[in-house]
Amino acid sequence: MKLNKFRKKSPWILHYNTGGCNGCDIEILASLAPKYDIERFGALNKGNPKQADILLVTGPVTKRCKDVLRRLYLQMPEPKVVVAMGACGHGGGVFRNFYHVENGVDNIIPVDVWIPGCAPRPEALIDGIVEAIEILQTKSKEKEYIRNHNEIIDKLGAKDD
Amino acid sequence: MINLLITIFAPVLGGFVFGIERIIKARMQSRIGPPVLQPFYDFFKLMDKRAYIIHSLHALMGIMYFIAEWFTLAVLLLGNDLLIAVFFHVIAVLALVIGASSVRSPYSVLGGLRELMHMISYEPLMVLMAVSFYLITGSFDIKTILSFNGYPIFQMPLVFFAFLLVIPMMLQKSPFDIAEAHQEIIGGPEIEYSGPFYEAVYTGKWIEYIYVFTFVFLFGGNHYWLGILLVIFTFIFVNLLDNSTARLDYRKMVKFSWFVLIPLAVLNIILIAMWR
Ligand code: SF4
Repeated sequence: MKLNKFRKKSPWILHYNTGGCNGCDIEILASLAPKYDIERFGALNKGNPKQADILLVTGPVTKRCKDVLRRLYLQMPEPKVVVAMGACGHGGGVFRNFYHVENGVDNIIPVDVWIPGCAPRPEALIDGIVEAIEILQTKSKEKEYIRNHNEIIDKLGAKDD
Repeated sequence: MINLLITIFAPVLGGFVFGIERIIKARMQSRIGPPVLQPFYDFFKLMDKRAYIIHSLHALMGIMYFIAEWFTLAVLLLGNDLLIAVFFHVIAVLALVIGASSVRSPYSVLGGLRELMHMISYEPLMVLMAVSFYLITGSFDIKTILSFNGYPIFQMPLVFFAFLLVIPMMLQKSPFDIAEAHQEIIGGPEIEYSGPFYEAVYTGKWIEYIYVFTFVFLFGGNHYWLGILLVIFTFIFVNLLDNSTARLDYRKMVKFSWFVLIPLAVLNIILIAMWR
């Protein structure tokens, strides 16, 4: 029996806001509410990296958040997909080139799906999740590394790894 | 025969109960909710994740919880003492607590401690319930209780009432879902489990449903229709309570259990003993 066809039936989401304006988070909550109800498709908002499949990141990755973001990514067991939501997550959005932001999620962890908009509508979010599930099905359960992990650790100044 | 079947297929049955419960919960919030088979989809998906453990004792205790729960159910259903089943249930929960306290995550340790608080709130009541079954039917044996010609529910209504309010503690439902408070300590004892090991804990919870509802069924005596009605009533009542109340403090839970529920059960036992 091919088990990876069950991945599309129960995508568990870990949502992390790296310092955005909360507009995107409201849309995520709206998609859990009665009108859109993404639990119909088995998606749950888990809040725990060890049991999640999809890491849904919003916000421009501020100084305080960047090491936490990297750790959350490393704590998720494979297969996993990263979805960057909103203009902030893409390139900083309204916060671009501020002194304290990292200009987007892709500067820290590899992103698989981008959901454009500021804020994206719940339909766009659901579309992005569907896209992420398709990528999730093709991934293997081998350990994944962040590309140039050592450089990123140097940049973040993380010591106790 | 049917006892053996229920014991063997307990995870499947519990999965269905859990799926139905998720639908009921969604309908109460005017959502559509996941399909009935959703718990099994989760199960197969978790099987396909990379095995990722903290250390071997922690992972072992997750699996131990699952096995001990299943064993408890086997002891209960295959004709043994109610008391022995209750004590095996203690062992199952203890496995979870040991696993939770063996890691460095503060949420997990906190969850383990709160799980112990749960245990001191509901285990005395389980023992009292077994004792009152003994006083009424003259045996701790499940076969004798199920062939007892009478209505245990009418002789021990206070025990049933107390048990009804203890079920949310055993199944981690609001207002007593203190150990796995999803918004404050994100799952409590189960937070550090992932992939196949989380699956063991998750499935252990389904078996716990069957364990609890078996006790509810016993209240019907040999009137099985009454037992089934009680199970359905309890299921709906617990879900209503779960969706309409907020979480309490653990002190309130322990106080409520020791100052309200246990005295009620003891009062009922005294009345039964005087009546005989
Ligand atoms: S993308 Fe727009 S709505 Fe979303 S967090 Fe950034 S500023 Fe807010």
